[in-house]
Amino acid sequence: MSSEPGAPAAMPAGLDATADELRRRIARQFGRSLHIRTLDTGSCAACEQEIRMLAAPHYDLHRLGFFLTPAPRHADLLLVTGPMLRAFASAARKTYDAMPSPKFVVATGACALGGVYQPDEFSYGSVAAHLPVDVWIPGCPPSPLALLQGLMVAVDRMAEKASQLTFIAGGTL
Amino acid sequence: MTALLLFGIAGGAWAVAAICALPAGTLGGAMRLSCGFSALGGVVAVAGGISSLLSGDSRVVSPGGSSVVGTLQLQATSLAGVFAVLLGVVAVAIALYLPRSRKDAATATPAYLCAYNFALVASLVVLAAGGVPTFLVAWESMALLCYVLILHRPRSSQVASGAFWFLALSEAGFVLIVAAFVILAAKTGSLELTVIAARAHLISASWRNTAYLMALAGFGFKAGLVPLHVWLPEAHPVAPADGSAFLSGLIVKLGVYGIALFAFRLLPEGAAWRGILTMGIGAITAAIGILYAMAERDIKRFLAFSTIENIGIIVTAFGAAMTFLAYGQRALWAFLLLAGLYHVLNHGCYKTLLFLEAGITEHAAGSRDMDRLGGLARAMPRAGVIAFVGTLGIAALPPLNGFVSEWLIFQGLFQGFRTHSDLVAILIVVAAATLGLTGGLAIYAFVRGYGIPYLGMPRTLRAAEATERGQPVAGPGLLAVACVALAVGAPVVLVGLARAIRTATGVSLRPILLPGKLTVIPAHTNFSGFSPTYLTVFLLAVLVVPVLIYLAGRPRGSSVVVPVWDGGTLAFKPRMQYSAMTFSAPTRVIFDALYRPEVSVQRASDDPAGRSGPVHYESQALPVFEKYLYRPVVGAVEWLAGVVRPLQSGDVNLYLLYVFLAVLVAYLVAAV
Amino acid sequence: MPQWFVKGLRRGVVTTRYPARPDPLAAILPGPPAFRPDALTSRIAEDLVRICPSRAFARAGGTLIFDAGACTACGRCRDQAPAAVTVSGEFELAATDRSALIKRIPLRGEASTDEVTA
Repeated sequence: MSSEPGAPAAMPAGLDATADELRRRIARQFGRSLHIRTLDTGSCAACEQEIRMLAAPHYDLHRLGFFLTPAPRHADLLLVTGPMLRAFASAARKTYDAMPSPKFVVATGACALGGVYQPDEFSYGSVAAHLPVDVWIPGCPPSPLALLQGLMVAVDRMAEKASQLTFIAGGTL
Repeated sequence: MTALLLFGIAGGAWAVAAICALPAGTLGGAMRLSCGFSALGGVVAVAGGISSLLSGDSRVVSPGGSSVVGTLQLQATSLAGVFAVLLGVVAVAIALYLPRSRKDAATATPAYLCAYNFALVASLVVLAAGGVPTFLVAWESMALLCYVLILHRPRSSQVASGAFWFLALSEAGFVLIVAAFVILAAKTGSLELTVIAARAHLISASWRNTAYLMALAGFGFKAGLVPLHVWLPEAHPVAPADGSAFLSGLIVKLGVYGIALFAFRLLPEGAAWRGILTMGIGAITAAIGILYAMAERDIKRFLAFSTIENIGIIVTAFGAAMTFLAYGQRALWAFLLLAGLYHVLNHGCYKTLLFLEAGITEHAAGSRDMDRLGGLARAMPRAGVIAFVGTLGIAALPPLNGFVSEWLIFQGLFQGFRTHSDLVAILIVVAAATLGLTGGLAIYAFVRGYGIPYLGMPRTLRAAEATERGQPVAGPGLLAVACVALAVGAPVVLVGLARAIRTATGVSLRPILLPGKLTVIPAHTNFSGFSPTYLTVFLLAVLVVPVLIYLAGRPRGSSVVVPVWDGGTLAFKPRMQYSAMTFSAPTRVIFDALYRPEVSVQRASDDPAGRSGPVHYESQALPVFEKYLYRPVVGAVEWLAGVVRPLQSGDVNLYLLYVFLAVLVAYLVAAV
Repeated sequence: MPQWFVKGLRRGVVTTRYPARPDPLAAILPGPPAFRPDALTSRIAEDLVRICPSRAFARAGGTLIFDAGACTACGRCRDQAPAAVTVSGEFELAATDRSALIKRIPLRGEASTDEVTA
C-alpha cells in the first residue's frame, strides 16, 4: 500500500500486483467518504492556503465526499506539507500513529516531495524520509484543482496521469 | 403501637451503642460493638418507619416525664415514618463505614461515637414527638450533639468557626421554632400535636400565618433555605466525613420534616400566598445552591451547596402542594407531598453516599481539593463505581432514583393550569422553569464533580498512589444498592408512600397513582405517565443491541494499544487537563453578576507575555449573604450590646440600686 | 443577508464542475515546463541544471533528467532558454510512485543513452 522510507522499490511481481489490488480495494472503501487531516511539517503556508480553498464554495471538496477533520483519530488520510523539519518529526510520527488503519499519506508541495530544501541538520528534506507516503502531489503551491485530482487518485476515483506524461512539447503530453 | 415499640427498640440500641463507644479508645472491640448496635438500631428504625407508614398514625404514648421538661409524649406518625426510614438507612450506612475509616483514629473517637449515637436517638425522638415540649427538647439536644460532632476534628480556627456557624444559626432557628409552637399551643390550649392539628382551624388566620412563617424561617435555618443556609458550606468541610454525611443526609431533612409538619399536618388550610411564597423560596434556594456549587473546588463544600439545591427542590414541591390545596386540587396536593417525600428519601441516600465517598477519597488521596485529585476511578475501582451510581442519582439521570422523584415533582408542577388562575399558573410554571435550570446545572456540576476527581490522569503524586485497600466499601455500597432499589422498585416505594399520604392528608392516591402494577400516573389520568421499572428494563435492553453488534462484528485480529492523542506534544502533563475551575468557567462567566468575583493578578515581571516568572492569580466569589445580611445583623447586635454594656458596670452599688428599683416597681404594679 | 442572497442568485453557481468537466481556470495555472528536445542542447541542459533553485534537473549522458515533483514553477528555466523550454499546461500531476514523476528528456542530436552520470 505504501513505500516505506528507504525501502527498495522492487518487489516480487505477483506480490506487487496483490499489494496494488489491496490498495485499490481500500481506496474504494473510502471513495465516497474520506476524512482528511492536514499536517504542516514546516511549510511556508502557501500549500495550506490552497488546501483551505478546497473548502471554499468554488472548489468545495464536500461535494466529492471529502471532509477535513482536526482529529487524527477520525482521519483516513494524512495530507502532509512541508520539508519535515526534524523538530516536528516526533509530532508527525505521533499523528501518523494516532490514525487508525487503514490510512493513506499524501505528500503535497515541492518541499514535501524533496525539492527546494536539502536534508540538513534542520530538516529531512522530504516527507518520505520519515513517513510512508502513498500519493505525491507536485506543485508550489499545488492549486486546489491539483489537490482534488490527487485526492481522487488516492481513493481510486480518477486514473493517475503522471506516469503517462513525458513533458515533451508537441509530443504526447 | 408496634411502630412505637420498634422506635423504642431502635432508640435503646443506639443508647447502648453510645455507652459501648465510651471505652473505644482503650478497648479493642468496643468500637465494632458500638457500630454493631448502631447498625442494629438502624435496621429496627427502618422496620419501625415502614410499619408506621403502613399502619398509620399511632396513638400518643406518654411514658412519663418531669416537671422541668414536661411530659414526654411520643407518637409514630406516617409522615415521620418516611423520615424514620431514612434515618435508619443512614444510620446503617454510617455504622458500616465507621470501623474501617477509624482504624487509625484520633483519640477523640469515644466522645464522637457517643455523641453521634445520642444524636441518632435525639433525631428519632424529634420524629416520634407527640407533644411540643418533647419536640423542642429533642430538637435542641440534637442540635447540641451535632455541634459536638462537628467539633470532633483536632482543633483549628476553621473547625471552630464552622461549628460556631452551625450552632449560631441553629439557635436562631430554634428561637423561631419555639415562638411558632408557643403561638399554636397557646391558641389551641394544648401541647399535644394531634390536638393542635385538630383545633388549628379555630385559630384566626393572621396567627396561623404568623406561626407558619416563623416555622418556615426557623426550620429553614436547619434545612438550609436561602438566605439562611450559610452554615452548610462552613460546617460540612470541617466535620469528619461521616459527620458531614449525617448532617446532609439526615439533620437537614429534619428541618424539612419540621416544614412538612407545619405545612401539612398542623396548619394545612391557608391562603394561596403561603404556598406561593414557600414555592418561590424553594425555587430560589435551588438555583442559588447549584450556582454556588459550580464555584467550589473543595468536594465537601460542593456537596453542601448541592444539598441546598435539593432542599430547594423539595421545598418547591411542598410549596406548590400548598398552593394546589388552596385552589381545591386535593389530588395534586397529596401528589406533590408524596413526590417531595420521595425526593427526601432519594436525596438522603445519594448525598450520604457521596459524602462517605468524599471521606474515602480524602483518606486515600490526601486531599479534598478536586484539583489535587484525578484518575481515582482507576486507582480505586470500587469507590469509582459506587460514586458513579451516587452521581447518576443526584444528577437525576434515568433510570436512577433522582430521576424518578424529580420527574414526579415536575409532573406535579406542570399541572399548574388546574388551579384555573392565570397568575398562579404562571408562577408555578416559573418555579418549574427554575427547577429545570437547576436540573441542567446539576448535571453540569456533577459531570465536573465526578469527572475531575475520578477520571483523567492523577494531578498529584498522592492521588496517583491512592489505593482503596482498607477503605470502607460496605456502607457506601449499601447506599448505592438502595439508590438502585429506590429506582427500580419505585412502584413498591410509591405504594408505601401513598399509604403514608393517605394517613397524613386523607387523600387516597393509590388508585390514581398506580393503576396498573408498574406504571406511574401523576394524579390525573389524562396528563402523562411513565414506568420506572419498564424504563430500567428498556435501557438495559437498548444497551444489549450495541453489545451484540460489537460481539458479532468486531475485528478478529488483535487490537493495538496506542497512547492517547495529545496533540503531538512532547510530554502530556496531568496539569494540562481540565481543572475544576476551568470546567465551570463558562457558567461562572454567564452568572458573573451573582458571583461578582474579586480577581487579583500579580506578575513577577511586567512582561505582558508573562514569560519571566510565575503569575499569581486569585479569584474569590463575593460572599453575598455573609456580607450583606449576616455581618450587618451581627454588627447591629454588637452595637446594641455596646449600648447596653454600661448597665453591667460591675459596681455593686449600682446593682443594689437596680434591686431597689425592681422591688419598688413590683410594689407599685401590685398595688395598682 | 438579503443582499448576499440576491447577489448570489445573480452570479449563479460558481462551484467548479471539475473533475466531471474541465475547469476553465486550469489554463492559466502555473505549472512545470515542457521541453523541445530538438532545441535542447547539451549547453542548455548544463545551464538548466545550474540555475534551477529546486534542483529539479540532472544530466545523465545524453539525457536530461527532470524531476516534476521538485519543480516549483518559478519559470527560471523558461527565461533561460525560451527556445527549448515552454509551458506544459499540466496540473494533474499526482503520482502513486515517486519515480513516475522523474522524466527523461533526450537531448538534441544524441541518442538516448541509459547511463546515469549526474
